[in-house]
Amino acid sequence: MTCLRMSVLPLLFLLCWLPAHAQESVLLKAMRDEMKRAMEDLQLGGMDKPYFVSYSVLESTSAQASAVLGAIASRREGSSRVLAVEVRVGDKDLDNTNFSTRPDFGSALASAAFPSLLPLEDDYHELRRKIWLATDSAYKQALDHLSKKRAALQNATRVEEVPDFSEQEPYQYTDDRTVPRPDAQKVQTLALDVSRAFDGMPHVFVSEVRTEMQFERLTYMNSEGSSFTRLDPSASVRILAGTQAEDGTALEDSIRAYGRSWDELPDTKALISRAQRLSERLRELRAANYLDRYSGPVLFEGQAAADIVRRVLLPRLLATKAPVVDDPRSSRSGGRGGNPFLDKLGARVLPRFLGVVNDPTLERYDQTPLLGGYPVDDEGVPARETVLVQRGILKTLLATRNPVPGVPASTASRKSAGPGPSNLLIIPDQGLEADELRSELLALVQERDLDFGILVRHIGSPQGRIPSAGRGSRGPGGQGLVGPVVAYKVFPDGREELIRQADLVGVAESSFRDIVAASNDTFVYTTTFVAGSNSFSGLTSLRRSSLTSLVVPSLLFEDLTLRRPRGNIPRPPVLPHPLAGP
Amino acid sequence: MNSHRPLLIRLCFCCMAPILMNAVSSAAVSVLGVMQHELDRSVKKLAQQPTPLYFLSYEITEEKSSYVRASFGTISASSDSERRLLDIDLRVGDHSLDNTHPIRERFGFPSRRFSQLEVPVSGIDALRNILWYQTDRKYKDAIERLTMVKANVQVKVKEEDRAADFSAESPEQALEDPRSLSVDRAIWEHKLKRYTSPFSQSSHIYAADAALSASVVTRWYVNSEGSKIRTAESRARLMISALTKAEDGMELPRYESFFSFDLDGLPDDNEVMERVHAMIRDLEALRVAPIADPYTGPAILSGRASGVFFHEILGHRVEGHRQKSEQDSQTFKKMLGQRVLPETFTVVFDPTVSRIGSTDLAGSYRFDNQGVKAQRVEVIEDGTLKQFLMSRTPIDGFSRSNGHGRKQAGYAPVSRQSNLFVEVSNPLSREALKEMLIARLNAENKEFGLFFEDIQGGFTTTGRMLPNAFNVLPIMVYRIYADGREELVRGVDLIGTPLTTFSKVAAASDEIEVFNGTCGAESGGVPVSAASPAVLVSQIEVQKKDKSIERLPLLPAPPGAPHSLQVAAEGGVR
Repeated sequence: MTCLRMSVLPLLFLLCWLPAHAQESVLLKAMRDEMKRAMEDLQLGGMDKPYFVSYSVLESTSAQASAVLGAIASRREGSSRVLAVEVRVGDKDLDNTNFSTRPDFGSALASAAFPSLLPLEDDYHELRRKIWLATDSAYKQALDHLSKKRAALQNATRVEEVPDFSEQEPYQYTDDRTVPRPDAQKVQTLALDVSRAFDGMPHVFVSEVRTEMQFERLTYMNSEGSSFTRLDPSASVRILAGTQAEDGTALEDSIRAYGRSWDELPDTKALISRAQRLSERLRELRAANYLDRYSGPVLFEGQAAADIVRRVLLPRLLATKAPVVDDPRSSRSGGRGGNPFLDKLGARVLPRFLGVVNDPTLERYDQTPLLGGYPVDDEGVPARETVLVQRGILKTLLATRNPVPGVPASTASRKSAGPGPSNLLIIPDQGLEADELRSELLALVQERDLDFGILVRHIGSPQGRIPSAGRGSRGPGGQGLVGPVVAYKVFPDGREELIRQADLVGVAESSFRDIVAASNDTFVYTTTFVAGSNSFSGLTSLRRSSLTSLVVPSLLFEDLTLRRPRGNIPRPPVLPHPLAGP
Repeated sequence: MNSHRPLLIRLCFCCMAPILMNAVSSAAVSVLGVMQHELDRSVKKLAQQPTPLYFLSYEITEEKSSYVRASFGTISASSDSERRLLDIDLRVGDHSLDNTHPIRERFGFPSRRFSQLEVPVSGIDALRNILWYQTDRKYKDAIERLTMVKANVQVKVKEEDRAADFSAESPEQALEDPRSLSVDRAIWEHKLKRYTSPFSQSSHIYAADAALSASVVTRWYVNSEGSKIRTAESRARLMISALTKAEDGMELPRYESFFSFDLDGLPDDNEVMERVHAMIRDLEALRVAPIADPYTGPAILSGRASGVFFHEILGHRVEGHRQKSEQDSQTFKKMLGQRVLPETFTVVFDPTVSRIGSTDLAGSYRFDNQGVKAQRVEVIEDGTLKQFLMSRTPIDGFSRSNGHGRKQAGYAPVSRQSNLFVEVSNPLSREALKEMLIARLNAENKEFGLFFEDIQGGFTTTGRMLPNAFNVLPIMVYRIYADGREELVRGVDLIGTPLTTFSKVAAASDEIEVFNGTCGAESGGVPVSAASPAVLVSQIEVQKKDKSIERLPLLPAPPGAPHSLQVAAEGGVR
């Protein structure tokens, strides 16, 4: 009986698959052969067999360098190939995912909690051996989690009956391009050249330039017949500078530039001039005055508008929910009660003249390249546009195949272990010209009987190189603290005055409902999205961050609060800068 | 909740990724000059402040590394890197009481913090810029901490050890030639593939890796007392590891590691392949070996095992700064001049020896991380405890450093071990040692004793909050029966407490073996070695090993792997 079945099945398999995959890579063949074994034979005693298996293999080769004032501080080149295995047992209504328990670091052989290291070379047998062990470990963990999850639910009535996994048509995609080796020399040269921008600027106490060229290839396959090979090249530069004002106030910022390829990065000259502008801004900030406290209308322009969206609104647009926990204590300490926007579906979250769209298929907006796109998401769902907010009303959230209440299907938004944005566009229905927007700000100022309004041009991202006592946590967590921001007082006569340093406080997603106007032109801002602290699901994460582009108009908020950063000011250096002359 | 953190010290194999390369920038010669210039500028100004600086040192550690790793005959990782880290020791107050003085709290964490300050050496401006700003930060931290120190000293009871915070030392000057080490990747990839291929002959071996790390480490050191030192050294380490799993889930590893200051010093292919085949035989035998039960009785520790044994139970307890910490159990503090081992035993730490026989010693250096010249230190002479390993932190009765202030780049130095040598004046032959063991078995009417042939490392706690015990992690353990038979067993760790165990050390053989490894403690990972003859201990204790509860893989290994050369398990008895 067994013999007969064994002889027929491989034959059918060959007939069906061989023509289509005659050119199949060694890696894909190893993945396919091991997946077949996992789906057919993997079973422990009388327990559930896997109903879904997926393999994700991330190949990465990169070159990094850091430089200070024309000298290399560190460099690194390396390659890796790692595998993440997802095994689901149970069924789509109730499986082992969306469950949080104490992590089990498993055995020295393979641990389902971490990606396994695959050989860099295409050695069929060794690839299969590693995939075999990783699958085995993932399957055992899945069984363990499913039984614990069933136990945790046994004495509870499930209020929200949402399946654990959504249906998806199989999809295939291939990018045949080969992965080049990064050019370490170029990476070092750029870091060196840009770092020289701070030469002869003794008002800058700390500076550093980091460059990276990286090629990633993600190969994915699941037991439903989806598979893809996707290339994700990227290049990045980070320029950091910091100083202290004469009273000691820490002034520090870093700026970043990204490209899909080395050539897409701004050229050396442009980067040097950005570095010089950063240095210039530090010089101006040193001389600027403080603002004690301000509550009133605030206009965000360019990068600042995009960044406030990224920090505050974006995390709410992701379909995440609180997982089932096996230990009630960990639900409190884990602390993530899910996304409050789950209750806002169908409600107004933005003014009527604003909408939000996520579109991974866009490559440019007007003439500007968008870098967050992809043909297929990390779990094989073909990319498509998703309208998230229409005329101010929240329509849906960015979702993976792990549904949440109100969002039953994937929006092709799986990034690493959870949902993430691709290209996020906020498009105003009726935007204003720049000068009209300013007039609008001043009109509000007059209405509120204020002396001036506030214009925010930049939200900083200091890296802690200059000690600044007493700064708390920032971002959408914390207490809605965003900053430090580069802000200007705008007086009724049109005059602008730079403020030394200020934090925005109490900014929340609800603040966005009270946006009173937006510009008709938009700013394209590319940044990294760090895949989530809120991605539970027990799924392995292959990488931490990916690129995302935001297209955002200038935004006028009716009422926000700025204040001088809390905490004591460190003292300025005792000695003068060594390059400041005698 | 977990406010007390027992100090866990570990001697492990984990070979740090790095090693290698064609070293040294052209500007290297001037690096010391720039450091000196900026140091002088800071000292001059900061010594005039209301809280004056009294000591300043800069150390830059440059590491250029190459790493290649293979698994079952294929390359699995490859990287190449270089970086330089800056360490600043800045002191305010005076030698007797300064900002580094420990602040005593009942459940306090050690106050020393880890910092990673990247610094270039090829650009004068960049180097000066960073030295200036980081010195300023250090200075401010130092004056703040000195205030806390003074308050703490006043508020708490008098300290038991009243020694000063910093010793006076004479300045040293030395300039070693730059070094280089170039790894031919093609050759090494081929070698590593060759070393790991045979493991696929056994279907029971689940992991098999070989890694080469090669590095060149250059250090530049200047201090305000006039020391000016540049050292350069290359290091190469080849590490082979493999793992099997018994039916009961127990994971059984086997390691081989080779260390040399030069790639050419690593063993040739034939020697490595012999070890590889021995590893395969050992793993096959371990997998089916019987599980040993908790046991107490006589045992022989091989030279490598006893090296680690002495490193854990003695070495960590003679590190000088621990005699000062009131959270440390200070096992040996009051035993100076007393017999702690048989009269025939002498234990020496000597970083000035770089080689024993054909084996390079990882714990050798010329200057420690405080710019003090490396020195030979006889800790135990003819069984009697004589002195401690000293950094520039004095303790009662020992006011000077003996060149053992060590650290990993980014940490603050404390007294650490170097090359440990166990020397005996009346060694026995291996056979005689075994006969002695058997005689004891007969006298005590025991069925068997134990022989610890190979170990993977060990760890110990020296604090007061937890039992002051050590744990040596053996890999190859044999029962030795009264009739001389040896039987491989698995599943036990060698444990004990220091004073009891030390009193049971009975005799030693005439063959010296070396364990090269990395020792981890509060000042980071530092390379060390331990050289020892095999030692007979009249009574040891073993406990059950922590064991995986994971089942064996459910499916058999994928078909097709070259299993043609089935290796027969050799069984447990030899």
